Amino acid sequence: MFQVIGGRSVQAARLVAPRSAVLVEAVRGRKSRTDPVAKSKEGRIKEPPPVDPVEMVVLKERYSEYQMIMRALRVQVEKQEAERKQEDAAAKREREQQEFIREKEREILQLQEDAKTFITMENLDQRIEEALDNPKNYNFAIDKEGRVVKQTILQ
Amino acid sequence: MPRYELALILKTMQRPETAATLRRTVETLMERGAVVRNLENLGEKLLPYKMAKHNQSHTRGTYFLLDFYAAPSILNRLLDHLHRDVDVVRSTVLRKDPEVSNSNCCGPKS
Repeated sequence: MFQVIGGRSVQAARLVAPRSAVLVEAVRGRKSRTDPVAKSKEGRIKEPPPVDPVEMVVLKERYSEYQMIMRALRVQVEKQEAERKQEDAAAKREREQQEFIREKEREILQLQEDAKTFITMENLDQRIEEALDNPKNYNFAIDKEGRVVKQTILQ
Repeated sequence: MPRYELALILKTMQRPETAATLRRTVETLMERGAVVRNLENLGEKLLPYKMAKHNQSHTRGTYFLLDFYAAPSILNRLLDHLHRDVDVVRSTVLRKDPEVSNSNCCGPKS
């Protein structure tokens, strides 16, 4: 997956390595270091893939420039998004505060209107007479269409 | 101030006496700093069961509904006063909560 740079010439390999390589020690697989080398691998000399130094330098330069540009763009875009989110949140908070204020004002006005119907010392007698003259009946049911059904047994 | 509802059951009496009891109750409320909003009469009905109060057994009673705004600290004394009134069979004070708005915050998950 990632190209592993390791082994004896780590320092030299680091100069010529492509930037995407991972500098890690080679990992042993199934066999430990005391196990003998397999018969088919006797005399094998492992060589890393050939790397053209000129090409590598040019590539490294180009890649580093490309990645720098991309990182800068990403940072810019993220900053813009964050700013926009903050603005939206601020606007929303503002709107909600206004809404709340308007709601409370509406309630106050409603209450002021209702206050005209409250009972005071002057209309106490009149209200008592009114109440005694008009008995109310809340003993009804409602079906889904909202039609009232009154079937109370008179006592 | 929170909004309360007094459900009052008065003894069956003649009209002037009922009026006098109601007047007494409302005046008590107003003395203690309540603002009475509305007084409703639910009629004279057969009580659901016999209620004994002040050495009398009642089978019929007149139901009244009184909503008012008051401080919560007066309720204890008020109920005490109503329990001592001979013409009152039963008095219950309930809180009237504001209606829950129908926003999409709670409800069955669907």
